[in-house]
Amino acid sequence: MGAQPLSDGATLGAGCWYALLDRDYRIEVEAGVTASLLLCDSEAVADVEIAVGRGSVLNIVRVVTHRSVLTHDVTLDEGAECNTTELVLNAADTRTTATFIAPFARYNHNGVFILDDKEEGSVTVDVMHNVSDCTSRTNFKGVAVEQAHGSFEGTVYVAPDAQRTDSEQSSRNVVMGDARIDTLPQLEIYADDVRCSHGATVGQMDADAILYMRQRGLSLADARRLQIEGFVSDVVMRASIESLVEPLQELLAVKFNKL
Amino acid sequence: MLKVENLHASVGDKEILKGINLTVKAGEVHAIMGPNGSGKSTLASVLAGNEKFTVTEGKVEFLGENILDMPIEERSRKGLFLGFQYPVEIPGVTMANFMKLAVNEHRKARGEEPLTAAEYLRLMREKSAIVELDAKLTSRAVNEGFSGGEKKKNEIFQMAMLDPKLAILDETDSGLDIDALRIVATGVTRLHTENNATVVITHYQRLLDYIVPDYVHVLYNGRIIYTGDKTLALKLEAEGYDWLINNHQER
Repeated sequence: MGAQPLSDGATLGAGCWYALLDRDYRIEVEAGVTASLLLCDSEAVADVEIAVGRGSVLNIVRVVTHRSVLTHDVTLDEGAECNTTELVLNAADTRTTATFIAPFARYNHNGVFILDDKEEGSVTVDVMHNVSDCTSRTNFKGVAVEQAHGSFEGTVYVAPDAQRTDSEQSSRNVVMGDARIDTLPQLEIYADDVRCSHGATVGQMDADAILYMRQRGLSLADARRLQIEGFVSDVVMRASIESLVEPLQELLAVKFNKL
Repeated sequence: MLKVENLHASVGDKEILKGINLTVKAGEVHAIMGPNGSGKSTLASVLAGNEKFTVTEGKVEFLGENILDMPIEERSRKGLFLGFQYPVEIPGVTMANFMKLAVNEHRKARGEEPLTAAEYLRLMREKSAIVELDAKLTSRAVNEGFSGGEKKKNEIFQMAMLDPKLAILDETDSGLDIDALRIVATGVTRLHTENNATVVITHYQRLLDYIVPDYVHVLYNGRIIYTGDKTLALKLEAEGYDWLINNHQER
């Protein structure tokens, strides 16, 4: 089944869609279907609003290779599920807000940013648990080398009535050289029967692993690149649209060859 | 093959090696023994080129070339292999990918073309059999979730893949049960030829039942204080190091 171009105002049924983010989109996914959506940026400011209908599954891959400013709002109806994989490979600013409007819905956001040179990039993922019995998972990895500066912010909001919320948020980061990464995962919880966790790490490359690889004959540059690849590979390997795993790996390889 | 003369090395301002002399010829097996903290692992690290240590005096020649200014990866490509006492886990990097890069770097250094995918797979299969390493492990991340025995087998597997001129094995026998010890030691013996050399650092005689050394050196306080043949290891196992150390201190 080939992918179809996305048009603004569309209601998506089952199928695969793609869009270049050179403009805003407001779309809906009808109830009870599984749809896939590939979004690629184009050095523009773009806003995408998506409403996922009852019991539907929407798999999104968002590829950011330009200096774009993107906002992304997803609302999930009862029992809906949205899985986002996000790859940020340039000095971009992306903001995602997922909002639950009915129970038993699930939002997953897996992503990575890789910044080099003097790139400054920032990623925000907010999840609004406005109703009960919803689940969210955010896993974002950041890599910054040379003089790059990356930041991750994520707030999980749990409204007073949002009992039995289940939420996990993790931000893991590696910096090299003079690079810097700021990470700010936050929880705002107003309900009492919830299971929420969050964690953040910022670390250097593992010097022992680099030494080990060099002892086997790899150059310092190759050892570093391999370690960064290893650190982020699971995000791409588990991309929400399986047929995009290989192309995404190729995109990563292009970035890695520059590092 | 290897000629170490009056080698002194420190970490920070603490001198650990205080004048090592050691000559290893092709075809030989040397064992280095000695109490904890005598400098055995430091010697292995310094020979391999670990930059954590500073060489303050002395000379190390490998295959006729001074290697002290050579970075660790160049020493490796020249044919020096270090089996790590604590093999490092590298999440997300598969053994197969890692070894492919390593093997091809070695080939490049010798002016050879990289292996094709089929040639590489054949090489991996052949070499993993030497240490009875489960072929599935090569598709897993480097050492991640490997048992102690698998990690050490994996070191010898990598040694087999890279076919070094000189292998320095730093306590490859530590943490192994009897079966794993036999497999690892037999693997090392099978890789030994008259054109390469092996230096094993060990605490225990039992490894030397399999890997029979031509020379046994005792390292103490940063110096080799005694060199003997394979019977020395048996004597040390029975009597400990005290008689040697006392002798050394009296002199």
